[in-house]
Amino acid sequence: MESFVGVGFSEKKDPFLAASEAAKLALYQIHHRPISFAFLFSTIHFAHPRVLDGIHYALGNVKLLGCTGAGVITSDAVRKYGVGLMLISMEKIHFGRAVKTGIQGKSAREAGEEFARLALKDLGTTQRDLALIFSDGMIENGSDLLKGIKDIMGLSFPIIGASSGDNFCFHKTYQYFDRTVLTDSVIGMVFSGENVFGMGLRHGWKPLGRPHTITEVKGNLIRTIENKPAVAIYEEYFGKSRKEIEKTLIEMSIYYPLGIYVPGETEYLLRNILRIDEDGGLLCQGDAPAGSEVRLMMGTKDWALEAGSQAAREAKEALKGREAKAVLIFESISRNKLLGRLTEKELARVKKEFGDVPILGICSYGEQAPLKSLEHYGETYFHNETLAVLAIGEPHAPDKHV
Amino acid sequence: MPPTSTFNAPTTLEIAISYLGMIGMIAVIVLVIVLVFKMEKIKELLSQTARLKRAFDELDGQAKLIVQTDVELHKTQEELDKKVAGLVTLQKLTRLLATTLDEEELFKKLDEKHVTELGFDRALAFCRDETKTFRLKAAIGYNVEEAERIQKLITGMPLIMDIVMNKQKVLSTADMDRASKESPHLLSMLNLSSFVCAPITQKEGPIGLLLMGSESPYTRLTEGDKDLVYILATQIGQTLENAKLFEETWRAQQELEHKIQQRTRELSAALEEIKVISKRKSDFISAVSHELRTPLTSIKGYASILAAGKLGELPPQAKERVEKINKHSDSLSQLINGLLDISRIESGRQEMKLEPIDLKSLAQSLGDMLAPPIKDKNIELVIDMPEGLAPVSADKSQLERIFINLIGNAIKFTPVGGRIGIAARTVENDGSIRVSVSDNGIGISEHDLRKLGEEFFRVDNEVNQKVKGTGLGIALVKHIVEAHKGQFSISSQLNKGSTFSFTLPKA
Repeated sequence: MESFVGVGFSEKKDPFLAASEAAKLALYQIHHRPISFAFLFSTIHFAHPRVLDGIHYALGNVKLLGCTGAGVITSDAVRKYGVGLMLISMEKIHFGRAVKTGIQGKSAREAGEEFARLALKDLGTTQRDLALIFSDGMIENGSDLLKGIKDIMGLSFPIIGASSGDNFCFHKTYQYFDRTVLTDSVIGMVFSGENVFGMGLRHGWKPLGRPHTITEVKGNLIRTIENKPAVAIYEEYFGKSRKEIEKTLIEMSIYYPLGIYVPGETEYLLRNILRIDEDGGLLCQGDAPAGSEVRLMMGTKDWALEAGSQAAREAKEALKGREAKAVLIFESISRNKLLGRLTEKELARVKKEFGDVPILGICSYGEQAPLKSLEHYGETYFHNETLAVLAIGEPHAPDKHV
Repeated sequence: MPPTSTFNAPTTLEIAISYLGMIGMIAVIVLVIVLVFKMEKIKELLSQTARLKRAFDELDGQAKLIVQTDVELHKTQEELDKKVAGLVTLQKLTRLLATTLDEEELFKKLDEKHVTELGFDRALAFCRDETKTFRLKAAIGYNVEEAERIQKLITGMPLIMDIVMNKQKVLSTADMDRASKESPHLLSMLNLSSFVCAPITQKEGPIGLLLMGSESPYTRLTEGDKDLVYILATQIGQTLENAKLFEETWRAQQELEHKIQQRTRELSAALEEIKVISKRKSDFISAVSHELRTPLTSIKGYASILAAGKLGELPPQAKERVEKINKHSDSLSQLINGLLDISRIESGRQEMKLEPIDLKSLAQSLGDMLAPPIKDKNIELVIDMPEGLAPVSADKSQLERIFINLIGNAIKFTPVGGRIGIAARTVENDGSIRVSVSDNGIGISEHDLRKLGEEFFRVDNEVNQKVKGTGLGIALVKHIVEAHKGQFSISSQLNKGSTFSFTLPKA
């Protein structure tokens, strides 16, 4: 039986009313068919259990995953206020789900492993083909969490996901799982279905200036670059004092993130800076190994837009001719800031690739996806400043068992 | 003895060694030469490396320059983007605010969505009441308890508000000086990292203030933000003023409408009363006239018999008296008939037998009828009616009465050798014909003109003093014209003449 996907969006003030309105709109689009699973994305204003009550009121019990973002992406705009819900009715799809709370701190890697085990257990014996994860965007060791998941699922197993966001306060972010609003958690699904999913990830930032070597690292903290406090790289390039840089660091690192060269990969890994520690070390959202080559990166709107097109094209090509039924977009809040009003142009470019397909997404604080997605999937990394596109195609015959 | 030599021939080894030595020497020389060349090359390479390093450093320096320029560019671009997005939202909001004229409704229309689109997280609107106390009108992004807490605490925070209100200045946390002591407390109280505060002004001055703020410590306030909040606050002020003006106008209109209704009711009652009185009057006149006519007929009959001498010749003095009785009875009869006619027309009892009438032939026949008095006074009668004039729809006998009355009056008041004109013209765009009877007689004063047409009113002039009349003629004409749904009017100038006009519908 053919699959149906519907997307509803509401800006109603009351979280319950907004969620139920979005749910009804989406349900109408899938012609009231049984719901296989649902994705819920909202701005921070709606991070309230009443949102889930509203969905339950309109739809009853549904398998729901989602998170808050700095914006909600629908097929026509990037909204800074509202609730978006995608309902998917796919009979043939097979998946396992899991939730793991308490991912902050030293145990992030273990939490990742635990999550992966739970997800795989829930999937059962069918072949695993893709993992989709949503994790708290406020954790400082997103890479560790991802490492833990990769430890269990495999280094080159394709994982795509987003880190939840708030309204650029970097205060608290939330994840939705069925009828619970969570924080400090990772939630996700492991799907079975070969060539059902297509992924694309690009950022479009380019290296600027000479390469530098990271000399000392502790977790996500780059302590020194070329034996000088890491912040010196920003001091040098911006011609400003540390104090001045501290004031505008987050903003600056959005436009000029650090780029880590990964041997054998075509794109640099981008890292946003969260804060400067007292010794001038730079705390990043993702890891940056000692000895790796680091460059200051620069983005322009045109490059970013072109990268958007490339990401969408890659995701489409990865479907290998199958028709996309739905598209999920995880766009870094940094891109949103860089592109400003042109974000909708980027959206238009994605739409140009896929045509009239239901689209839902969020502006995230971090993205997870493999660097390469043509021919084969490479290793999944934690990214900043990227646009990750997940295209879901029509599922096919029964799944293979392992 | 041949001389002997101590010089022994070199052995092959020695020769070989010496060759090797020579070769070695040559090799060393060559090596030295090569080394010298290589050294030159190394020097060159080193200098090239130094050049490259310099170029590389220069490029890095240029990269730094690019970054620094790019930072400024981003800043400008971001500001511009923010402004454009803010203006779009502001335009939407302005349109939305313009749809309401109610103060409470107006503040309800501002919601979180608009605040977010304007680049802020929270907003507060205060208005100062009669006691100069700030009242919280809107708290967007705060729950009810938080709003109540802010309302309580805000009374102790007058400094910033007073600066904004009194100086009518837009303040932001980015440029606070005097109020800066207060701002950290205010920021924590409002749970904000930065805010912009602008006065809500009306013509008379500021009436409140609008505060919009961001939770995020990473949001940088700009001049553009200040402009946006100022524009929005001004817009709110104007809308509130419009609402006030509208309410005042609406109230005045309501009052006026109420007054009009009351007056209409009074007038309707008065009209009803007048109608009743008028009917009573008509009934009374009708009754009295009938009652008078019967004995009058007898009186007139007996007087005629007596005057004809059918009961014997009367002495001349008695005959004279009887003839006077007869004559006065005629006048009285005429008066009663006139009154009866008016009464009948007024009460609608007089049925109008409408038929198409050719005005020209009617005027001519009436002119013939009235020829003797006209001739007596040597008056020129001019009938001015165009050929092909459409006939009018009227009751012939009543129309004759109109003409007889009007021409009769004209003859009466026109001096010897005067001129009377009867004219008729089609009224443009109005299916009627205007007829006028004019003379060049003594005319009527403006004062009398207003009363003319009232029953029993006679203009006090020389002619009327000499000639008797009932004062019912013009009133009767007016009633007949109105019964035909026409209009009657008089224009006159003293000593120059008068024109009596009336309209009648075309047949």
